[in-house]
Amino acid sequence: MVTTRRLGFMCMLIMVTGTACTSMGVEPWERDVLAKEQMHLVTDPIEASIDDHIYFSKEASSGGRGFGGGGCGCN
Amino acid sequence: MSEKKTGHIAQGLAAATCSLLGTSATLPVLAQEQPDWEFDTALLYYGEDGDRVQDLSLNLLAKRLFPDDKILSVGLAVDSLTGATPSGAVPQDELQTFTRPSGESVYPVAAGELPLDDTFLDTRYALTASWQQPLGRDYAGTAGISFSTEYDYTHAGANFSLSRDFNKRNTTVSLGLALARDDLNPVGGAPLPLAPMSDVGDLSGRGGSESKDVVDLLLGVTQVINEKFLVQFNYSLSDASGYLNDPYKILSVVDPVSGDAIDRTPAPGFEGPLHEYRFESRPDKRTKHSLFGQGKYYLGGKVLDVSYRYMTDDWGIDSHTLDTKLFLPLGDTRYIEPHIRFYTQSEADFYRVSLLDGEPLPQFASADYRLGNFDAITAGLKYGWRSSSGRDFAVRLEYYRQEGEVPPDQRVGSQDRSSLYPGLDAIILNFSYGFGM
Repeated sequence: MVTTRRLGFMCMLIMVTGTACTSMGVEPWERDVLAKEQMHLVTDPIEASIDDHIYFSKEASSGGRGFGGGGCGCN
Repeated sequence: MSEKKTGHIAQGLAAATCSLLGTSATLPVLAQEQPDWEFDTALLYYGEDGDRVQDLSLNLLAKRLFPDDKILSVGLAVDSLTGATPSGAVPQDELQTFTRPSGESVYPVAAGELPLDDTFLDTRYALTASWQQPLGRDYAGTAGISFSTEYDYTHAGANFSLSRDFNKRNTTVSLGLALARDDLNPVGGAPLPLAPMSDVGDLSGRGGSESKDVVDLLLGVTQVINEKFLVQFNYSLSDASGYLNDPYKILSVVDPVSGDAIDRTPAPGFEGPLHEYRFESRPDKRTKHSLFGQGKYYLGGKVLDVSYRYMTDDWGIDSHTLDTKLFLPLGDTRYIEPHIRFYTQSEADFYRVSLLDGEPLPQFASADYRLGNFDAITAGLKYGWRSSSGRDFAVRLEYYRQEGEVPPDQRVGSQDRSSLYPGLDAIILNFSYGFGM
């Protein structure tokens, strides 16, 4: 069971990671690969939405990547 | 695949923001080639084996790109559902009869067969719309609405997110909020918790319509590691309250020694169940926490995408999801993408195979296999190509399998001999077509 305190710590970790990564990354002119369609975090939004809906209907978990499914009388 | 160069800070923000909501900000090409509109369409067939659920659906997503990196997205989905789904009742060595949810007739299930509820026929319409734009130099925001309707269920929702860039756009922190109100109007009325299944025409154990509210909160960080490697971490909180039962799911009442369902005689002159069943009961509140991480790594034209999600909730369910895709280009215009997904979950605290006759009724109980203890695997392959006129086509075929087990201490008497967890075998076939104009 994940306690509230542990979750609070994880949130802090996410925030600290975000602001502490000042030396990681690329210069603006080095983004040619990152700009490719296939390097987007979600390359096919319809496919992601279809899969989210299938798994939301057949499993007890949802979301994670974005807002979790919902909006149907299936779970 | 043609390269698309970014020129504006806000486009990177839009990409990160969109990624929160499960949509992709397609970064515009150089100014003179930028399409105003982008359309994506998909036709899906989802089919479980046997007489179980089949779904045929059409999905459309239209994006209008405005100057200053503003994007309007509108999506429409139509699903036609047929087939049957396990009702939660346990197979028996003799004929079983169930009253339909409408209360107007009965349906039989032969000896040895898994009871399936076939009142799953439905057509569902869903609409989404969202607007995203930069807010000042480093911020971007989105606002969206969602709506869906089917004959016994309506959903309405709104979502918002705000993101901020740091470190030359290498780090993006995002915060999102989604609110939803769902209304249920089950056929025959929402059953009272653990009400017995009664004869045809008897709706005494039924209420009317119900509703539930869901609040989702998401906190995320996207970080560029190097020119070939990008990661994202999200924490989500989801809080649902209201009527959380599945109004069509039931539990068998069985003898605590033999495991056989308890006989029942319908009232004289009436049709009804020949054994005892009760409608399920779930808590009226559910809080879920999810931790999600994703990495995308570019390997000389190939892209490896790996994501992991851990979910835990106050119903006692824990789940792990591991999802991997590998994008493999075939020349300049075609690609294949194998995909594999592993999923495992533990059962809800109140998950029961059946209720035991003579024991006091628990406060909560559900035999819905989707709240049970199971593992699932998806394996598939996608093949796509871009035509000479710049139109994108793809076809995807996947196989999804669920296998579960009821804990031995829950099985009673004859239940040891039958297969109690329904499981699932399904095919997913998806055609997609996209173009800009």
